Amino acid sequence: MAAAALGKVVGPGDRVLDVPEQGTLRLSAGLTTHDGAVTSLKGGVLKSTRTGQLFLEGRQKRYIPAEGDVVVGVINDKHSENFTVDIGGPFNAVLPQLSFEGATRRNRPNLHPGDLVYARVVTAHRDTDPVLSCVDTAGRASGFGHLKEGMVLSCSSALARQLLGSPTAPVLEALGSGLQFELAVGLNGRVWLSAPTAATCVVVANAIAESEFRTPAQVRTMVARVLSRLG
Amino acid sequence: MSAVEEERAVCVGDRLGATDTYAAGEGVFVRDGFVIASVVGFQRLEAPPAAGEKPTIHVASRDTLPLVPKPGDIVTVKISRVAQTAAHALIMCVGRQALSTEFKGVIRQQDVRSTEIDRVVIYDCFRPGDIVRAEVVSLGDARSYYLSTAKNELGVVYARSATAGVAMVPTSWVTMQCPETQAVEKRKVAKLESLVTA
Repeated sequence: MAAAALGKVVGPGDRVLDVPEQGTLRLSAGLTTHDGAVTSLKGGVLKSTRTGQLFLEGRQKRYIPAEGDVVVGVINDKHSENFTVDIGGPFNAVLPQLSFEGATRRNRPNLHPGDLVYARVVTAHRDTDPVLSCVDTAGRASGFGHLKEGMVLSCSSALARQLLGSPTAPVLEALGSGLQFELAVGLNGRVWLSAPTAATCVVVANAIAESEFRTPAQVRTMVARVLSRLG
Repeated sequence: MSAVEEERAVCVGDRLGATDTYAAGEGVFVRDGFVIASVVGFQRLEAPPAAGEKPTIHVASRDTLPLVPKPGDIVTVKISRVAQTAAHALIMCVGRQALSTEFKGVIRQQDVRSTEIDRVVIYDCFRPGDIVRAEVVSLGDARSYYLSTAKNELGVVYARSATAGVAMVPTSWVTMQCPETQAVEKRKVAKLESLVTA
Protein backbone atom coordinates (compact mmCIF):
# COMPACT_ATOMS: atom_id res chain seq x y z
CA MET A 1 0.00 0.00 0.00
CA ALA A 2 2.88 2.34 0.57
CA ALA A 3 4.33 1.33 -2.76
CA ALA A 4 1.05 2.05 -4.49
CA ALA A 5 1.05 5.62 -3.17
CA LEU A 6 4.54 6.41 -4.48
CA GLY A 7 4.53 9.12 -7.09
CA LYS A 8 1.32 10.63 -5.73
CA VAL A 9 1.22 14.43 -5.79
CA VAL A 10 -0.13 15.93 -2.56
CA GLY A 11 -0.72 19.37 -1.12
CA PRO A 12 -0.11 20.45 2.48
CA GLY A 13 -2.50 18.78 4.91
CA ASP A 14 -3.59 15.98 2.56
CA ARG A 15 -4.06 12.41 3.78
CA VAL A 16 -1.39 10.50 1.94
CA LEU A 17 -2.15 6.96 3.02
CA ASP A 18 -3.58 5.15 6.03
CA VAL A 19 -1.22 3.79 8.64
CA PRO A 20 -1.19 0.01 8.08
CA GLU A 21 -2.19 -2.32 10.89
CA GLN A 22 1.10 -4.16 10.86
CA GLY A 23 4.64 -3.48 9.79
CA THR A 24 6.65 -0.30 10.13
CA LEU A 25 6.53 2.91 8.17
CA ARG A 26 9.54 5.19 8.21
CA LEU A 27 8.67 8.80 7.52
CA SER A 28 11.11 11.49 6.61
CA ALA A 29 10.96 15.09 5.35
CA GLY A 30 7.50 16.58 5.04
CA LEU A 31 5.43 13.71 6.44
CA THR A 32 3.83 13.17 9.81
CA THR A 33 1.05 11.05 11.31
CA HIS A 34 -2.28 12.53 12.32
CA ASP A 35 -5.51 10.70 13.23
CA GLY A 36 -4.26 7.33 12.06
CA ALA A 37 -3.18 8.47 8.61
CA VAL A 38 0.06 9.70 7.17
CA THR A 39 -0.41 13.41 6.45
CA SER A 40 1.71 15.75 4.37
CA LEU A 41 3.22 18.92 5.82
CA LYS A 42 4.09 20.53 2.51
CA GLY A 43 3.28 20.13 -1.17
CA GLY A 44 5.21 17.59 -3.21
CA VAL A 45 5.55 14.16 -4.73
CA LEU A 46 5.71 11.08 -2.49
CA LYS A 47 8.99 9.26 -2.99
CA SER A 48 10.99 6.61 -1.23
CA THR A 49 14.74 6.46 -0.59
CA ARG A 50 16.85 3.41 -1.32
CA THR A 51 16.56 2.38 2.32
CA GLY A 52 12.77 2.57 2.33
CA GLN A 53 12.11 5.91 4.01
CA LEU A 54 9.12 7.80 2.64
CA PHE A 55 9.55 11.50 1.97
CA LEU A 56 7.95 14.32 0.07
CA GLU A 57 9.94 15.96 -2.66
CA GLY A 58 8.78 19.47 -3.32
CA ARG A 59 10.30 22.43 -5.08
CA GLN A 60 11.37 24.96 -2.48
CA LYS A 61 13.71 27.87 -2.66
CA ARG A 62 14.82 27.94 0.96
CA TYR A 63 17.25 25.17 1.87
CA ILE A 64 16.66 23.34 5.17
CA PRO A 65 19.77 21.33 6.09
CA ALA A 66 19.38 17.62 6.72
CA GLU A 67 21.89 15.04 7.91
CA GLY A 68 23.80 13.45 5.06
CA ASP A 69 23.31 16.24 2.52
CA VAL A 70 26.23 17.53 0.48
CA VAL A 71 26.44 21.31 0.23
CA VAL A 72 28.49 24.08 -1.35
CA GLY A 73 29.22 26.67 1.33
CA VAL A 74 30.96 30.03 1.60
CA ILE A 75 33.30 30.61 4.54
CA ASN A 76 32.09 33.61 6.57
CA ASP A 77 34.41 33.63 9.54
CA LYS A 78 37.43 31.87 10.95
CA HIS A 79 37.45 31.10 14.70
CA SER A 80 40.02 29.33 16.81
CA GLU A 81 38.50 25.87 16.44
CA ASN A 82 36.13 26.07 13.48
CA PHE A 83 34.86 28.04 10.48
CA THR A 84 31.42 29.63 10.15
CA VAL A 85 30.01 28.67 6.76
CA ASP A 86 27.02 30.14 4.95
CA ILE A 87 25.06 27.31 3.33
CA GLY A 88 21.93 29.27 2.55
CA GLY A 89 19.91 27.75 5.38
CA PRO A 90 18.26 29.40 8.40
CA PHE A 91 21.46 29.18 10.47
CA ASN A 92 25.09 29.45 9.45
CA ALA A 93 26.85 26.12 9.74
CA VAL A 94 29.93 25.22 11.76
CA LEU A 95 32.86 23.46 10.06
CA PRO A 96 35.51 22.24 12.53
CA GLN A 97 39.06 23.00 11.42
CA LEU A 98 40.07 19.41 12.05
CA SER A 99 37.43 17.96 9.71
CA PHE A 100 39.73 18.08 6.70
CA GLU A 101 41.92 15.30 5.36
CA GLY A 102 45.35 15.44 6.95
CA ALA A 103 44.45 18.27 9.33
CA THR A 104 46.04 18.27 12.76
CA ARG A 105 46.28 20.90 15.46
CA ARG A 106 49.56 22.08 13.97
CA ASN A 107 48.57 21.72 10.33
CA ARG A 108 45.32 23.63 9.87
CA PRO A 109 43.52 24.23 6.55
CA ASN A 110 44.47 27.50 4.91
CA LEU A 111 40.98 28.87 4.22
CA HIS A 112 39.82 32.47 4.43
CA PRO A 113 36.45 34.23 4.51
CA GLY A 114 35.05 34.16 0.98
CA ASP A 115 36.44 30.74 0.03
CA LEU A 116 34.13 28.03 -1.26
CA VAL A 117 33.98 24.58 0.29
CA TYR A 118 32.21 21.36 -0.64
CA ALA A 119 31.14 19.62 2.56
CA ARG A 120 28.65 17.13 3.91
CA VAL A 121 26.20 17.86 6.73
CA VAL A 122 27.06 15.77 9.79
CA THR A 123 24.34 16.93 12.16
CA ALA A 124 21.38 19.19 11.47
CA HIS A 125 18.75 19.85 14.12
CA ARG A 126 15.90 22.27 14.25
CA ASP A 127 17.30 24.47 16.98
CA THR A 128 21.07 24.43 16.56
CA ASP A 129 23.68 25.31 13.98
CA PRO A 130 24.35 22.50 11.49
CA VAL A 131 27.78 20.90 11.68
CA LEU A 132 29.68 20.16 8.45
CA SER A 133 32.64 18.02 7.61
CA CYS A 134 35.06 17.98 4.67
CA VAL A 135 35.92 14.31 5.09
CA ASP A 136 33.72 11.29 4.66
CA THR A 137 33.03 8.85 7.49
CA ALA A 138 36.24 6.95 6.76
CA GLY A 139 38.39 10.07 7.02
CA ARG A 140 39.18 10.55 3.33
CA ALA A 141 38.58 13.73 1.36
CA SER A 142 36.37 12.10 -1.34
CA GLY A 143 35.99 15.30 -3.30
CA PHE A 144 35.15 17.44 -0.28
CA GLY A 145 37.22 20.46 0.65
CA HIS A 146 38.25 23.77 -0.83
CA LEU A 147 36.83 24.61 -4.28
CA LYS A 148 39.31 26.80 -6.08
CA GLU A 149 38.36 29.30 -8.79
CA GLY A 150 35.29 28.67 -10.89
CA MET A 151 31.82 30.15 -10.46
CA VAL A 152 28.67 29.32 -8.49
CA LEU A 153 25.24 28.92 -10.07
CA SER A 154 22.06 29.13 -7.98
CA CYS A 155 19.36 26.62 -8.66
CA SER A 156 16.37 25.05 -6.92
CA SER A 157 16.75 22.06 -4.62
CA ALA A 158 14.82 19.88 -7.06
CA LEU A 159 17.27 20.56 -9.90
CA ALA A 160 20.20 19.90 -7.54
CA ARG A 161 18.69 16.53 -6.63
CA GLN A 162 18.23 15.70 -10.31
CA LEU A 163 21.86 16.55 -11.06
CA LEU A 164 23.04 14.37 -8.20
CA GLY A 165 20.78 11.46 -9.03
CA SER A 166 21.84 8.22 -10.60
CA PRO A 167 21.57 7.53 -13.56
CA THR A 168 23.51 10.64 -14.56
CA ALA A 169 21.31 13.58 -15.47
CA PRO A 170 20.91 13.84 -19.28
CA VAL A 171 22.18 17.42 -19.39
CA LEU A 172 25.46 16.46 -17.73
CA GLU A 173 25.96 13.46 -19.98
CA ALA A 174 25.34 15.51 -23.10
CA LEU A 175 27.59 18.37 -22.01
CA GLY A 176 30.33 16.02 -20.85
CA SER A 177 30.62 14.42 -24.27
CA GLY A 178 31.58 17.72 -25.87
CA LEU A 179 33.12 19.94 -23.20
CA GLN A 180 35.64 19.72 -20.40
CA PHE A 181 34.49 21.05 -17.05
CA GLU A 182 34.37 20.25 -13.35
CA LEU A 183 31.31 20.62 -11.20
CA ALA A 184 30.22 20.16 -7.60
CA VAL A 185 26.50 20.09 -6.87
CA GLY A 186 25.23 21.16 -3.46
CA LEU A 187 21.76 20.17 -2.30
CA ASN A 188 21.44 23.69 -0.92
CA GLY A 189 20.77 24.88 -4.47
CA ARG A 190 24.31 25.88 -5.36
CA VAL A 191 26.33 24.37 -8.18
CA TRP A 192 30.04 25.13 -8.48
CA LEU A 193 31.48 25.05 -12.02
CA SER A 194 35.01 25.30 -13.20
CA ALA A 195 36.30 25.05 -16.79
CA PRO A 196 39.48 25.99 -18.71
CA THR A 197 37.74 28.96 -20.36
CA ALA A 198 35.10 31.37 -19.14
CA ALA A 199 33.00 30.72 -22.26
CA THR A 200 32.71 27.01 -21.42
CA CYS A 201 31.67 27.89 -17.86
CA VAL A 202 28.90 30.17 -19.09
CA VAL A 203 27.66 27.63 -21.63
CA VAL A 204 27.50 24.87 -19.01
CA ALA A 205 25.76 27.13 -16.47
CA ASN A 206 23.11 28.22 -18.96
CA ALA A 207 22.53 24.68 -20.16
CA ILE A 208 22.04 23.37 -16.63
CA ALA A 209 19.66 26.19 -15.73
CA GLU A 210 17.60 25.59 -18.88
CA SER A 211 17.40 21.86 -18.41
CA GLU A 212 15.23 21.85 -15.31
CA PHE A 213 11.82 21.58 -16.95
CA ARG A 214 12.75 19.88 -20.23
CA THR A 215 12.45 16.22 -21.08
CA PRO A 216 15.67 14.28 -21.72
CA ALA A 217 15.13 14.38 -25.47
CA GLN A 218 14.65 18.15 -25.47
CA VAL A 219 17.73 18.52 -23.29
CA ARG A 220 19.85 16.51 -25.71
CA THR A 221 18.66 18.58 -28.69
CA MET A 222 19.37 21.81 -26.86
CA VAL A 223 22.88 20.76 -25.85
CA ALA A 224 23.68 19.50 -29.34
CA ARG A 225 22.63 22.86 -30.77
CA VAL A 226 24.76 24.77 -28.28
CA LEU A 227 27.82 22.59 -28.85
CA SER A 228 27.57 22.91 -32.60
CA ARG A 229 27.45 26.68 -32.31
CA LEU A 230 30.52 26.64 -30.10
CA GLY A 231 32.37 24.99 -32.93
CA MET B 1 27.26 59.26 66.40
CA SER B 2 23.48 59.46 66.44
CA ALA B 3 21.58 56.24 67.01
CA VAL B 4 20.54 54.35 63.87
CA GLU B 5 16.81 54.79 63.07
CA GLU B 6 14.64 52.12 61.50
CA GLU B 7 13.29 52.56 57.94
CA ARG B 8 15.16 55.79 57.31
CA ALA B 9 15.75 56.77 53.69
CA VAL B 10 19.46 56.93 53.03
CA CYS B 11 21.62 58.01 50.13
CA VAL B 12 24.89 56.67 48.80
CA GLY B 13 27.70 57.71 51.11
CA ASP B 14 25.59 58.22 54.23
CA ARG B 15 27.31 56.97 57.38
CA LEU B 16 24.95 54.56 59.09
CA GLY B 17 26.87 53.44 62.15
CA ALA B 18 30.23 52.35 63.56
CA THR B 19 31.55 48.86 62.81
CA ASP B 20 32.11 48.14 66.51
CA THR B 21 28.34 48.42 67.09
CA TYR B 22 26.92 47.15 63.77
CA ALA B 23 27.79 44.49 61.22
CA ALA B 24 27.60 45.23 57.50
CA GLY B 25 24.83 43.55 55.43
CA GLU B 26 23.67 44.04 51.87
CA GLY B 27 23.82 47.39 50.12
CA VAL B 28 26.49 48.79 52.48
CA PHE B 29 30.25 48.86 52.69
CA VAL B 30 32.79 49.46 55.43
CA ARG B 31 35.34 52.29 55.33
CA ASP B 32 37.43 53.82 58.14
CA GLY B 33 35.51 51.96 60.83
CA PHE B 34 32.07 53.05 59.63
CA VAL B 35 29.24 51.26 57.86
CA ILE B 36 28.32 53.40 54.85
CA ALA B 37 25.41 53.01 52.41
CA SER B 38 26.33 52.06 48.85
CA VAL B 39 22.86 52.25 47.29
CA VAL B 40 19.92 54.60 47.59
CA GLY B 41 17.11 53.05 49.64
CA PHE B 42 15.67 52.32 53.01
CA GLN B 43 17.86 51.25 55.87
CA ARG B 44 16.84 48.14 57.75
CA LEU B 45 18.21 46.66 60.97
CA GLU B 46 18.41 42.92 61.32
CA ALA B 47 18.57 41.39 64.78
CA PRO B 48 21.87 39.67 65.66
CA PRO B 49 21.90 35.95 64.67
CA ALA B 50 23.14 34.92 68.13
CA ALA B 51 23.29 36.66 71.47
CA GLY B 52 26.38 38.77 71.93
CA GLU B 53 26.84 39.49 68.21
CA LYS B 54 26.20 42.73 66.43
CA PRO B 55 22.96 43.62 64.62
CA THR B 56 23.31 43.88 60.84
CA ILE B 57 22.44 46.96 58.77
CA HIS B 58 21.02 46.43 55.28
CA VAL B 59 20.05 49.07 52.73
CA ALA B 60 17.50 48.05 50.15
CA SER B 61 15.25 49.89 47.75
CA ARG B 62 11.60 48.97 47.36
CA ASP B 63 11.30 46.43 50.14
CA THR B 64 13.44 43.75 48.54
CA LEU B 65 17.12 43.08 48.97
CA PRO B 66 19.05 43.58 45.71
CA LEU B 67 19.40 40.08 44.38
CA VAL B 68 22.30 39.05 42.19
CA PRO B 69 23.38 35.46 41.54
CA LYS B 70 26.48 34.39 43.48
CA PRO B 71 28.62 31.30 43.10
CA GLY B 72 26.87 28.45 44.86
CA ASP B 73 23.31 29.70 44.33
CA ILE B 74 20.72 27.36 42.83
CA VAL B 75 19.08 29.27 39.99
CA THR B 76 16.18 28.65 37.63
CA VAL B 77 17.03 29.42 34.02
CA LYS B 78 15.36 29.29 30.64
CA ILE B 79 17.47 28.02 27.77
CA SER B 80 17.66 30.61 24.99
CA ARG B 81 20.11 29.07 22.51
CA VAL B 82 21.80 25.74 22.10
CA ALA B 83 25.20 25.47 20.41
CA GLN B 84 27.62 22.59 19.93
CA THR B 85 29.72 23.25 23.02
CA ALA B 86 27.42 25.17 25.35
CA ALA B 87 23.83 26.05 26.12
CA HIS B 88 23.01 29.73 26.65
CA ALA B 89 20.36 30.59 29.22
CA LEU B 90 18.58 33.50 30.89
CA ILE B 91 18.63 33.41 34.70
CA MET B 92 15.10 34.10 35.91
CA CYS B 93 15.08 33.17 39.61
CA VAL B 94 17.64 32.83 42.36
CA GLY B 95 16.48 30.26 44.88
CA ARG B 96 12.79 30.95 45.44
CA GLN B 97 12.91 34.59 44.45
CA ALA B 98 12.28 35.93 40.95
CA LEU B 99 14.73 38.46 39.59
CA SER B 100 13.58 41.80 38.25
CA THR B 101 16.37 41.85 35.65
CA GLU B 102 17.46 38.82 33.66
CA PHE B 103 21.08 37.79 33.78
CA LYS B 104 22.76 35.68 31.12
CA GLY B 105 24.26 32.33 31.97
CA VAL B 106 25.96 29.59 30.00
CA ILE B 107 26.10 25.85 30.68
CA ARG B 108 29.30 24.57 29.10
CA GLN B 109 29.69 21.06 27.75
CA GLN B 110 31.93 20.00 30.64
CA ASP B 111 29.45 21.29 33.24
CA VAL B 112 26.37 19.41 32.07
CA ARG B 113 27.00 16.22 34.01
CA SER B 114 29.74 14.70 36.12
CA THR B 115 30.46 11.52 34.11
CA GLU B 116 31.87 11.23 30.55
CA ILE B 117 32.00 14.99 30.21
CA ASP B 118 33.80 14.95 26.85
CA ARG B 119 31.08 12.86 25.17
CA VAL B 120 28.19 15.16 26.03
CA VAL B 121 25.92 16.15 23.13
CA ILE B 122 24.29 19.39 24.21
CA TYR B 123 21.32 18.91 21.87
CA ASP B 124 20.45 15.67 23.74
CA CYS B 125 20.46 17.48 27.08
CA PHE B 126 18.76 20.84 26.54
CA ARG B 127 16.59 22.51 23.91
CA PRO B 128 15.60 26.17 23.55
CA GLY B 129 12.66 26.98 25.81
CA ASP B 130 13.43 24.39 28.51
CA ILE B 131 13.31 25.47 32.15
CA VAL B 132 16.42 24.20 33.91
CA ARG B 133 17.57 24.16 37.52
CA ALA B 134 21.30 24.92 37.67
CA GLU B 135 23.98 25.99 40.08
CA VAL B 136 26.13 29.08 39.60
CA VAL B 137 29.73 27.96 39.34
CA SER B 138 31.42 31.33 38.94
CA LEU B 139 30.87 34.88 37.76
CA GLY B 140 32.09 33.71 34.37
CA ASP B 141 33.21 36.10 31.64
CA ALA B 142 31.99 39.55 30.69
CA ARG B 143 28.90 38.17 29.00
CA SER B 144 27.50 35.44 31.21
CA TYR B 145 27.65 33.52 34.46
CA TYR B 146 28.99 29.98 34.27
CA LEU B 147 26.32 27.48 35.32
CA SER B 148 26.48 23.78 36.05
CA THR B 149 23.92 20.96 36.08
CA ALA B 150 26.41 18.32 37.18
CA LYS B 151 24.33 16.99 40.07
CA ASN B 152 21.37 14.63 40.18
CA GLU B 153 18.95 17.27 41.39
CA LEU B 154 19.95 19.73 38.65
CA GLY B 155 18.76 19.66 35.07
CA VAL B 156 15.58 20.11 33.04
CA VAL B 157 12.46 20.53 35.15
CA TYR B 158 9.98 21.58 32.46
CA ALA B 159 10.09 21.08 28.71
CA ARG B 160 7.58 21.17 25.90
CA SER B 161 7.61 18.55 23.18
CA ALA B 162 8.89 19.53 19.76
CA THR B 163 5.88 18.36 17.75
CA ALA B 164 2.82 18.81 19.97
CA GLY B 165 4.07 21.65 22.20
CA VAL B 166 2.64 20.15 25.41
CA ALA B 167 4.54 19.70 28.66
CA MET B 168 6.49 16.46 28.64
CA VAL B 169 6.61 13.88 31.42
CA PRO B 170 10.04 12.66 32.59
CA THR B 171 10.52 8.93 32.06
CA SER B 172 14.15 8.56 33.13
CA TRP B 173 17.12 10.72 33.96
CA VAL B 174 17.87 11.10 30.25
CA THR B 175 14.45 10.96 28.58
CA MET B 176 11.10 12.74 28.61
CA GLN B 177 7.94 11.64 26.84
CA CYS B 178 5.17 13.67 25.27
CA PRO B 179 1.76 12.55 26.63
CA GLU B 180 -0.02 13.28 23.33
CA THR B 181 2.22 11.82 20.65
CA GLN B 182 4.12 9.33 22.85
CA ALA B 183 7.33 10.64 21.26
CA VAL B 184 10.38 10.28 23.47
CA GLU B 185 12.91 13.10 23.59
CA LYS B 186 16.28 13.20 25.26
CA ARG B 187 17.01 15.69 28.00
CA LYS B 188 19.20 15.89 31.12
CA VAL B 189 16.35 15.54 33.62
CA ALA B 190 16.57 16.87 37.19
CA LYS B 191 15.94 14.38 39.99
CA LEU B 192 13.37 16.31 42.04
CA GLU B 193 12.04 14.87 45.32
CA SER B 194 8.49 14.87 43.91
CA LEU B 195 9.54 12.54 41.08
CA VAL B 196 11.31 9.89 43.12
CA THR B 197 8.85 7.15 44.08
CA ALA B 198 9.60 5.01 47.12
